[in-house]
Amino acid sequence: MADFLTGMRVSSSGMAAQRMRMNTIASNSANINTTQTPEGGAYRRKDVVFEAMPDAKNFGEIITSSDPAGSFQRVQVTDVISDQKAPMLKYEPDHPDANADGMVAYPNINLMEEMTNMIQASRSYEANVTALQASKDMALSALEIGR
Amino acid sequence: MSNGLFDKTTNALATSLGMRQLRHNVTSSNIANAETPGYQAKKMDFEGALQRALDLDGANGLSTSSPEHFAVGGVAINKARPDIYDDPEGAVNNDGNTVDIEKEMSALSENAVLYKAALQLINKKMAALKYAATEGR
Repeated sequence: MADFLTGMRVSSSGMAAQRMRMNTIASNSANINTTQTPEGGAYRRKDVVFEAMPDAKNFGEIITSSDPAGSFQRVQVTDVISDQKAPMLKYEPDHPDANADGMVAYPNINLMEEMTNMIQASRSYEANVTALQASKDMALSALEIGR
Repeated sequence: MSNGLFDKTTNALATSLGMRQLRHNVTSSNIANAETPGYQAKKMDFEGALQRALDLDGANGLSTSSPEHFAVGGVAINKARPDIYDDPEGAVNNDGNTVDIEKEMSALSENAVLYKAALQLINKKMAALKYAATEGR
């Protein structure tokens, strides 16, 4: 029999992944006008890559698991990618980062897109919190059997 | 089956608690992966398996008239297996994900309520046993 800890682990992986996504969104909106980065050039928009993986850590867990088919999948951030879109060019000849033509490369970030992603991330986070709360309630009420 | 202190109903309730717990984990997994590209929503059925194991109409197993007879057909309640599969009804998103978050959230709370209902029934059974054990005091 699987236990509630599996469900809690899965929900918390979802929360961690959404928080990570929220961090990239915060970074994107904070750097919307950043023209200098350590790697050179304008800031590039970051995005997370989610991947589902079975909730079993090692071989022993896999063979003793009640769920050999891998139905309980955690979510994990496997990569943070940089957007390869071309930067937006603005004519600002007085800017220190302006090129010979007086154009400055700004990050190609759409604030509307970041805001909608943010709302989506926080809703998904809340959904995982609800699932975790339900796990906790069920586990606690099971302790009350026979009281 | 009905020997001892705990009868078939208690067994069935205990099994259904275990199954609901499993279903809760499946739903949690769907919710966590609501935005994972290519993830297939999972669904779990256990009502059928439990009903076959309970065998209320006696149609699934041969009845035994002596304790030395082998039970034929029908599965023991605690051996009932759930059926976990990819939800065939899920609408596929742009990224190949088939999770419907509203459906999953309502399934989650429905499952939690039914879990608590089964718990209460078990508690009533236990209370009745306790009452008998204390000679009604």
